[in-house]
Amino acid sequence: MLALQLLVNAVALGAAYALVALGFVLVLNATGAVNFAQGDMVMAGGYAAVVLAGSLPVPGLVLLPLVLLLTAAFGVVFSLIAYFPLRARPPAAVFISTIATGIILQNGANLLFGAEPRAAPALLGGGILRLGAFVLPRQSLAIIAVAAVLGLAQHWLLRRTQFGRALRATAQDREMARAVGVRVDRMIAASFALATTLAGAAGFLLANQFFVTPTSGSDLILKAYIAVTIGGWGSLAGAVLGAMLIALFEVGVSAVLSYEAAMAALYAVLLALLWLRPQGLIGEAARARA
Amino acid sequence: MAQSSRSLLAAAFAAALLCGAAAPAPAAELAIPILVPVTGFLSLEGQSQRNGALLAMADAPPGLAIRHPVADTGVSPAVAVNAFEKALGEKPVAVIAPMLGTEMLALLPLALENKVPLVTISGTAKITELGNPWIFRFFPGDNVVKLAQARYIAEVLGAKHPAIIAQSDAYGQSGQHYLEAAFADLGIKPVLSETVDVEVKDLLPVLSKARAAGADVLVPHLHAPATALLVKQASALGLGLPIVSGSAMATPSTAALLDPAELKGVCAESASAPILPTAPAGERFLAEYRKTFGGEPDTYALAQYDGAMMLLDAIAAGARTPAAIREALATRSYRGIAMTYRSDGAGNMAHSALILCYDGTSRKPRIARRYDDIVALK
Repeated sequence: MLALQLLVNAVALGAAYALVALGFVLVLNATGAVNFAQGDMVMAGGYAAVVLAGSLPVPGLVLLPLVLLLTAAFGVVFSLIAYFPLRARPPAAVFISTIATGIILQNGANLLFGAEPRAAPALLGGGILRLGAFVLPRQSLAIIAVAAVLGLAQHWLLRRTQFGRALRATAQDREMARAVGVRVDRMIAASFALATTLAGAAGFLLANQFFVTPTSGSDLILKAYIAVTIGGWGSLAGAVLGAMLIALFEVGVSAVLSYEAAMAALYAVLLALLWLRPQGLIGEAARARA
Repeated sequence: MAQSSRSLLAAAFAAALLCGAAAPAPAAELAIPILVPVTGFLSLEGQSQRNGALLAMADAPPGLAIRHPVADTGVSPAVAVNAFEKALGEKPVAVIAPMLGTEMLALLPLALENKVPLVTISGTAKITELGNPWIFRFFPGDNVVKLAQARYIAEVLGAKHPAIIAQSDAYGQSGQHYLEAAFADLGIKPVLSETVDVEVKDLLPVLSKARAAGADVLVPHLHAPATALLVKQASALGLGLPIVSGSAMATPSTAALLDPAELKGVCAESASAPILPTAPAGERFLAEYRKTFGGEPDTYALAQYDGAMMLLDAIAAGARTPAAIREALATRSYRGIAMTYRSDGAGNMAHSALILCYDGTSRKPRIARRYDDIVALK
């Protein structure tokens, strides 16, 4: 029974990490640059939910689309500040600018909201579902459901729509996409918007159970980076797989070993993977890594 | 949004004080720079430390002119050292020093070299174990409060199988070490003593281990978000175990993250309980803090307020040089709001601790037990 409970918790956490990692990959594919502010976008999504909940006394499910819209708009602004002015410069300029923007976000949140942890509202009401001895937090189920819906929606968008084809064309070869009439800059801005939307959703969902502080996004970027490395650089499915693996070690393996040993084991797996399969579990041939 | 406005007002207040301090000063003014970590992972506690110090400066005895520039030390010893060296330009008679232990360890040699008293609320035991005569700590260290926490668990709850769950950073390991020592002193061996990283999002694994180990009380020593998460998850699991937490659970901002029902059976050690004043001075402090900063004071704010007030009291009594102030702090006793402070010879000024408990009907705790004159664990 406990194993099942741990599994549900691990899948819920992995689903939230997957949203972060998917956004990370979207920007990586569209621009070739690593967005080190992706974790801070998660934090921004959490605070957006906290602020909206304070102003609008509506259920979390109604707040979610508002948070997604806000964070999507923020993604476009972010691209105009941190990416477009620097895209002709060496790649280091872009990733430094994303680090700088992330730090500005952290300090801005500290100034606006203070350092106290805050909790966002639950998506479907708080509390737990009891099935005999089995305890299921409602929010964990909500995280899994929302992540699944967003993941499938993204898959549909990228694979089944003209817009998605243009996005993928931009990701594969920007010059060729431009040559065939794709508005590449718009597609890049859209990739940033999609990435921050996913981060915003993760921020909203995580901020209920795990709270939000100005620095709570800092560790998530490392997890996203590792998830993408495990899954395969640039692979959306790989990002999800990598995120789930991290959560499995954090929740499942640490229930048997100590947390430190579980994390050491995770990084040992990562090292072994880098030796044996550098392209990642679902990666294609090795690409240039930012 | 109201909270945001209050935060902005508080920031504006601090900035105004800072700007005021930057103006050319009359010759008679004395300088007491305030070096505190108001950004980074310790910003919540650091802002409380800053607020406590600022409130004390505003309450300085009549006739004292104190210049008190504020500098952020972040969470980096290098930044703290730079801030201290810059503050030396003010010719300070004393410095309100950051509560982060690693920063204090970097500042101690500088204080010794420049002969400047440091007044801090850092809980790291080592800072007063180095024989430096210029350090004064106004917060009971882990070697004091963990003894109170363990005694309450053993003597009041009658628990014999505690499960210690600590953060894996320096803060957590210090608490874990002294909890183990305090339980050993009481003849109790914890059934579990495990650390978790600050980045851990789910505490179900360690809670399930505590249950499997046969724990009869949970003893977390975690930062605020992790403490709230542990209480929430333990409640959801229906563990039915009492929780006697580290000081994080005694702060109003942590209690605000939980439903009152989730707090039933939850206690916490604390140096003080500023939201539960027992005397007029405490009531004045609480009212003034709320009015100035728009929030609830925590134990760090009150400890730093008391520490700075003892410093100002020494100056008002005629100690106008760093050496005279050091002598006054080392030899005098001061009745603050939280407790009576006096040095144990090593600069440890605080020797009392409280146990606060929630009854499950509100987020306001009650004082369950007070421990005074605690002889620190070695």
